[in-house]
Amino acid sequence: MMKSSIVRHITSLLLPFVQIFGIYIMLFGHLSPGGGFAGGSILGASLILFRFIYGSEATDAKFKATYMMRLALVSLMMYGLIKGYVFVSAFLGWHSVIGTGTPGTLLSGGFIMPLNVLVGLVVAITFYFIAVLFEEGDFNNANTRQ
Amino acid sequence: MKALLASILTLTFIGFLLLAIVEMPAVGSDSSIMHNVVMDKYIEDAMTDTGAINIVSAIILDYRAFDTFVEASVIFTALICIMIVLKRSGSHDEK
Amino acid sequence: MQTLVNNYMFIGAVIMFGIGFMILLLHNNLIKKIIGMNIMDTSVFLLFVSLGYIKGKEAPIIVGGEISKMGYVNPLPTGLMLTGIVVAVSVTAFMLALTIKLNDMYGTIELDEIQKMRGR
Repeated sequence: MMKSSIVRHITSLLLPFVQIFGIYIMLFGHLSPGGGFAGGSILGASLILFRFIYGSEATDAKFKATYMMRLALVSLMMYGLIKGYVFVSAFLGWHSVIGTGTPGTLLSGGFIMPLNVLVGLVVAITFYFIAVLFEEGDFNNANTRQ
Repeated sequence: MKALLASILTLTFIGFLLLAIVEMPAVGSDSSIMHNVVMDKYIEDAMTDTGAINIVSAIILDYRAFDTFVEASVIFTALICIMIVLKRSGSHDEK
Repeated sequence: MQTLVNNYMFIGAVIMFGIGFMILLLHNNLIKKIIGMNIMDTSVFLLFVSLGYIKGKEAPIIVGGEISKMGYVNPLPTGLMLTGIVVAVSVTAFMLALTIKLNDMYGTIELDEIQKMRGR
């Protein structure tokens, strides 16, 4: 928790732009360089900055530990299921749900955009958790239940 | 003594690698053996098969999406292993 | 000698690999060993990505709706090294977590002091 008011004010002005930039790189991965990994790294870095400036109690109230772990796990399983559907539907000759679309627009490329978003979520949550674990060692005031 | 032995070992190792580099084609040459039929197929058919403009994204998320799946699970497994290693046993003191 | 000047990128990658290897062998501090291993990983990525460069062609993004007449750089090594970079980051994070655990148990990070404490 930093007590310097200059840093807090500048961070509160700067963080929304960093997150919008990270989401832009993640969503437009099939049109310009970037993709899931780069966008996920930027989002994870913005979450770490938020925790560093505002302290651990405020961040734990906003992003609960078990909720984010479940989000990462569900994203990974959804990636496997979607890719399995694409593979099997091309192998057996079924008609695919999402077509290719016109190249150059945002809603094109079939399943590439959802896969980018899922990979970016996994990477961002993993980077944030690794930084939390190095600083504190365990989830002290997270509402974990066995 | 230790520095001398380490430097002799490293120089031998790098000498073998440099001997292999002498036989490689120049940087940026057009006739390297790596630019073959596989690259032509990916470049020509990427836009009509997938609809994506970025060829590298089409490769890692459509033609070879299983590699990306296994690598995302590698990241997740590393997070779980770090949680196991850094877990404190018994009672930890108050903050 | 002329071939060694033409392949300047590969020679740079091999020398960087050698520097990382020397750092790994010579220093006693555990953090410096982890930095040396990271340098070795980066040099391998540099070698692979610079293998795909072709002089005079442009980046592999199709602009304007049709394939460019000048041709594209080989996109395959770049795509395959993305996975490698992520694996290197995961291994570095795990090594740093093990260093934290060693510091908790022995109180020091120098490797020869840890070996003396264990009695070798």
